[in-house]
Order: sequence, then structure tokens, then C-alpha cells
Amino acid sequence: MIYLNMLLTFMKISLFSFGGGYAILAMIQQEVVVKHSWLTLSEFQDIVAISQMTPGPIAINAATYIGYKEAGFLGSLICTIGVILPSVLIMLAISLSYNILRDRLWFKAIFRELRLLAVGLVAAAAILIAQGALTDIFSIVVFVVVLLIAWFYKPNPVLVMLGAGLLGFFLG
Amino acid sequence: MLLRMFLIFFKIGAFTIGGAYAMIPLIRRDLVQKQKWLSDDDFLDALAAAQSAPGPIAANISVYLGYRLHRLSGMLIALLGTILPSFLVMLVIAAFFGKVENLDFTRRIFHGLKPAVVALIIVPMVQMSKAAGVNLYTIWIPLLTAVLVGFLGLSPVYLILAMIAYAVIKSLKSERAIRRAEK
Repeated sequence: MIYLNMLLTFMKISLFSFGGGYAILAMIQQEVVVKHSWLTLSEFQDIVAISQMTPGPIAINAATYIGYKEAGFLGSLICTIGVILPSVLIMLAISLSYNILRDRLWFKAIFRELRLLAVGLVAAAAILIAQGALTDIFSIVVFVVVLLIAWFYKPNPVLVMLGAGLLGFFLG
Repeated sequence: MLLRMFLIFFKIGAFTIGGAYAMIPLIRRDLVQKQKWLSDDDFLDALAAAQSAPGPIAANISVYLGYRLHRLSGMLIALLGTILPSFLVMLVIAAFFGKVENLDFTRRIFHGLKPAVVALIIVPMVQMSKAAGVNLYTIWIPLLTAVLVGFLGLSPVYLILAMIAYAVIKSLKSERAIRRAEK
């Protein structure tokens, strides 16, 4: 039953993604590429690149794409619902109890430690994308140039991606 | 109010590109400064709660704020508004990308895009590590995580569960130590 499998997989991805954004990528890769083979590593990297240029959370983008590829429109709907269902339930619970929880020592400790872990998960995401992305002189030059520009000028990521895509098209 | 909420969250969903952190100033401007539906304190509480819960931060914060503003219907409207733009755009891409992904033309473009993505992940990671309190004593945690997950392919699930257990035990111990000291 692919629909149920997809729903549960994306609920699990959502439940174990802390820190948002890039920290989620390693979890998506683990489930979607390694465990279920719904995507190859290269397809996964393509989607992350596409997500940089399209609106919305990466987890939603990935869920919609993978769901559609595996099982059409219904699949994309189910995967997206899978990502947001844990958010809805947990945030409802938190919005009702946050004032009590936030002063608890253990509650604070969990998030302090998980934030450190999330930094490592973002680094893991960078490593996972770098495999197969930094393969030749051209890609390493693009990497270094974008790194320097992003570091010093904080440009709009869409413009950076457009520039990198054009460079790839003409020189890559 | 529900229609206006939907439009605001739709706009926020449509214009936040490259992660949830881009949407935070937008939400603040629309809901706190323009509509005055929330105080700044409410907003900061919502942000803290959304960051501490699992799942995409954008979805979390729209659930929390939608519920605060208009109970269950507000929650659904806010969530729908936030998600619809990315859902629709990705649906269109998914429908046609499969046909072009292996063309020489596409591979050349992605040959430039992928290294740029790596760089765009690394820069916010450095800012994030400052906010997370990474220093000489704590840096082993992100380093070990990066090696285990990035190179050795360990699932983040185990690390997260272990970390939660470690944090709870540590804080319970220190709570007990404080109580003992008070006696």
C-alpha cells in the first residue's frame, strides 16, 4: 500500500526534523533515497537545488515532488499531508501548553542540545549535496565563488542560483 | 478576517524562498505591524514554539498563529495559505521535470546549481552555529553528527532520540542537585 507507506514516511520525516530548513535534508535523504529508493541521490540533489528557487519550506517541496513522481496528484497530496500532520498536532498541543512548558528545565535542555545537533545535521546536508556536486574544477570554482559572495554580500538566493545556472549552462 | 488571513499567509508562503528564516520578517511586518493582530511578544513566543517543535518551521508558525487568531478555522486557513504556493509550484515542476532532467541542457545547468547549493547551505550554518551556542566545549556535537550522518549514513532518528534522552537526564540530575543544595 504505497499511499499509507508514503504518509507514514513523511510523518516520520517531519517528526524527526528539528531546526527547520536544511536540518531536514539529511532526514529526507535517509528515508527517501536510502530506505525507500523513491529517488536517486542525484535526483534528491536536483530537488534541493530546485527548492532553492521555488517558494515554501523544502520539506513541503520535496514531499510534493516525490509524491507526484511515485503516485501522481494523490501521492503528492498524501506526502504533503504527511509532512504537516505532525506539525499541526504538536503545535496545537504546544500552543495550549507552551506557557507551562517553556519554564521547565528539561524542556529548555532538550532544545538547547537539539539546536547543537541541528547544526551538525545542516553540515551533514552540505556533505550529502557536495557528493556528486563538487566533482571537477568547474564546480569547485563555482562553489568557492558563491561561498565568498554569499558570505560577504548576503544576496538574494534566487539571483545567486540564476547566476550559477547560467554559468553551468554556458561553461559547465 | 479569514479571507484576509488567507491572503496574507498565501503571500508569505509565495515570497519566502530559500527557507523559513526568510519568512520571519514578513510575518512580523504583516501580522504585528500592519494588521496589529498580534503583539511583538506574542510573535516571539510563536517563533520560539515553532522552532522548538519538529516539522517545517513555516508550517509550525502558521498553525500556531492561525489558531491564536481564529481557532481551528484560522489554523486551517493559515496553513493552507502557507503551503499552497509551494505545493502548486512543485506540482507543475514535478509534472514536467521528469521529461527534461536527463537532457544535456538540464545537466549543464545543474552542474552549476549544485555547487552553489552547497555554498548556500554553509553560510547560514555558520550563523546558526553562533545562535546555537557552538563553542570549544560543544563543537564535538555538531562535528560528530556531521560525520555520522553525512559520511557514515546514520539515520538522524537515533541521534535525536539519544540527544533528547541525554538532555532530560542531565537536566533532571541538575534539578535534583539544586534541590539538594537548597535543603
